[in-house]
Amino acid sequence: MPAVAQQTRAGGGESAAHRDTHIAEDLATHFGPECITQECVDGIRTVWVPKKHVRQVIRYLKNDAPARFELMFDLSAIDERARQNRDGQPASEFTVFYHLMSLSSDDDVRIKVALADGESVDSIESIYPVANWYEREAFDMFGIGFDGHPNLCRILTPPLWEGHPLRKEHPARATEMDPFKMTPAFQKAQQDALRFVPEDWGMSLSAKHTDFMFLNLGPNHPSVHGVFRIALQLDGEVIVEAVPDIGYHHRAQEKMAERQSWHTYIPYTDRVDYLGGVMNNLPYVMNVEKMAGIEVPERAQVIRVMLAEFFRVSSHLVFYGTFAQDVGQMSPVLYMFADRERLFSIVEAITGGRMHPSWYRIGGVTQDLPDGWDKMVLDFCDYMPARLDHYEKMAMRNKILQRRTKGIGAYNTAEGLDWGITGPSLRATGHDWDLRKNRPYSMYDQFEFDIPTAEAGDCYARCEVRVEEIRQSLRIIRQCAENMPPGPIKSDHRLTTPPRKERTMQDIETLIHHFLNVSWGPVIRPGESSTTIEATKGWNSYFSVSDGGTMAYRTRVRTPSFPALQQIPLISRGFMVADLIAIIASIDFVMADVDR
Amino acid sequence: MQWRLIKTEPGASMREVDDIYNEEAGKSFLTAKLEDLVAWGRANSIWPFNFGLSCCYVEMATALTSRHDLSRFGAEVIRATPRQADLIVISGTVFRKMAPVLQHLYEQLLEPRWVISMGACANSGGMFDVYSVVQGADKFLPVDVYVPGCPPRPEAFMQGLTLLQEAVKNTPRPLSWVLGDDGSVSKYSVSQRDMHTPERMRATALAEPTTVGDAPLSDSLLGKKRT
Repeated sequence: MPAVAQQTRAGGGESAAHRDTHIAEDLATHFGPECITQECVDGIRTVWVPKKHVRQVIRYLKNDAPARFELMFDLSAIDERARQNRDGQPASEFTVFYHLMSLSSDDDVRIKVALADGESVDSIESIYPVANWYEREAFDMFGIGFDGHPNLCRILTPPLWEGHPLRKEHPARATEMDPFKMTPAFQKAQQDALRFVPEDWGMSLSAKHTDFMFLNLGPNHPSVHGVFRIALQLDGEVIVEAVPDIGYHHRAQEKMAERQSWHTYIPYTDRVDYLGGVMNNLPYVMNVEKMAGIEVPERAQVIRVMLAEFFRVSSHLVFYGTFAQDVGQMSPVLYMFADRERLFSIVEAITGGRMHPSWYRIGGVTQDLPDGWDKMVLDFCDYMPARLDHYEKMAMRNKILQRRTKGIGAYNTAEGLDWGITGPSLRATGHDWDLRKNRPYSMYDQFEFDIPTAEAGDCYARCEVRVEEIRQSLRIIRQCAENMPPGPIKSDHRLTTPPRKERTMQDIETLIHHFLNVSWGPVIRPGESSTTIEATKGWNSYFSVSDGGTMAYRTRVRTPSFPALQQIPLISRGFMVADLIAIIASIDFVMADVDR
Repeated sequence: MQWRLIKTEPGASMREVDDIYNEEAGKSFLTAKLEDLVAWGRANSIWPFNFGLSCCYVEMATALTSRHDLSRFGAEVIRATPRQADLIVISGTVFRKMAPVLQHLYEQLLEPRWVISMGACANSGGMFDVYSVVQGADKFLPVDVYVPGCPPRPEAFMQGLTLLQEAVKNTPRPLSWVLGDDGSVSKYSVSQRDMHTPERMRATALAEPTTVGDAPLSDSLLGKKRT
């Protein structure tokens, strides 16, 4: 059994002691007075630094600052050219932002760099290796150059794509562009452009005693969990180098957020981590609520927690089953999908949907719980632990499964943080950081649960942690069912969308208010905010910029699966091809969560 | 050995023999056209290609698992290579970057081959009218059955599969290889929505969303009683 962290920390929230250290002043003393502070709604200190200092500032924050920022949590950009409300911010056409996190001192900092169109900025890939893909993504989406990047090429769009989609002048809709035509010439050109050329990646074709074989795995392969491709350099059956190739599942979620109202974007979030269901709604609606200043009633928060934990169980069950299947066990996945069906009958009874209920709303949840929900939920909580015991015997104690996964694909906490790994995969290295405990949100500080960790950091440990998380989630769900607070399920704040039913259809004012909120959508005051939660696969964050309109000016979706795939080469070198399958299975990703 | 000739008279006794013969024959023989038999065999042993794009694939995989058990329709033998499969289910969003790959995979499928478009994205682009998404698999693939939903329930996928089976069963198709179009035309072109709308419109009492109603998570489903 994995070790369980027993101590419960004081809920520091977003006001930890280290927030008192003035990073802005600190940076100003080291790098001159051009470092300007910006106020953000989320309270994360945001500092604009001159372009020429970026690399030094980032290196300082990682290695020398009073609070060490071990994790480069996010890196992306904002096309500022059409933005109206930028009070107090330096002039910028394209802003690159870096979100760094310090787990040792529970702190955050956001660094921003102003660029003119066509300007490039220094790459920080040599400081945080995880930045490699994030910089490629920023290049792909905005056309921003990163000087010193080892291989700055497209990552999400097809190699022959023209333009950079998140620039404001790029069309958003497919129907604004020329109709798609599949001609043989087009197909050949695209397929040729996708061909893996080892020399492009600095690979030699042979070594002293061997000619390397290059194997293309994917983008359609039964073991890669979706449309993911990985090119392998093989010496016999041993992996010398691996190059993951993504973008086959790019659904343009971030561009979509710029044309949907704050309210109508909610269903899109469901489809980011498509095994996570309403768990995806949570960081998004919490972020909008933060920007709008909405207090969510207790009952709504507990309902949200309960359903989010149901989806954590559901997602982990799919992971557990497919993990066992990928290393050679046929039956567990059938058992686990059967349990997932039982779970879905509860989700369905409550929300009416299965995989994508889109059930959370700005200011609360859609509906109240139906009569009889608690019996169903408690039934499931009674039923499930015995099943997990059964699976423990069937899968986890199976010697073949153990031999195929123990000691395979291991990394330690420092490597995990360097590569942006968060959530259960990081806890499998013995690091017991869980946002639900360390920065409680949505009343998680009111629940009793433990944070499972494992020490080995290998494939087996990653599965072990998730199995134990199912049990802990069931504990939380039971507490929700037994202590569901009474009261409203929606805030009575004016930006709650749609407004509470009893506040509509009273007179012309309430009618208009309801009508405008659901047709044009609520107007969110200008500002920037991000919200991060402990999602099924790691930390999921939404960073939104409002320009005072009914739609987000820019929304950044940071997902846990994206950096996890980038790390594959590091943990698979020297292993066999069959081990790579175990490694991929243990990562627990879905391609929608990678490419968005 | 002795031989003798008798005069065949279709009399009462012979008719009796005929009846017995016909009865026995009815139990032991099946007469049909070869085309029909082959079509029947094809319909009941469709081998889907193990291919998934997005969310819909999870629901398609769910249809293969115990509760829904796709093997009841003879279509559970999912193949990892297109060269052994005759059905591709476009289960998910058709991405611009993936479309050339998908076309390549389709061309590798065995003929005769069928395409089920599963879910709103594959049907029309769905909610993703956005630069990276092809607005429907039928922009470049001949789709036989469209299954609506986002994602469709496993039951909806199974209905789509059984509709395809009906179509395969009832579509005359040449027995031998032919170059180019084999001239077969599917007999199913009626929208299920149009077929069922009159019946559905008759519903007047809809279940209230305020109760779990006929609780699907019954004791029998859990295999034990709660005390």
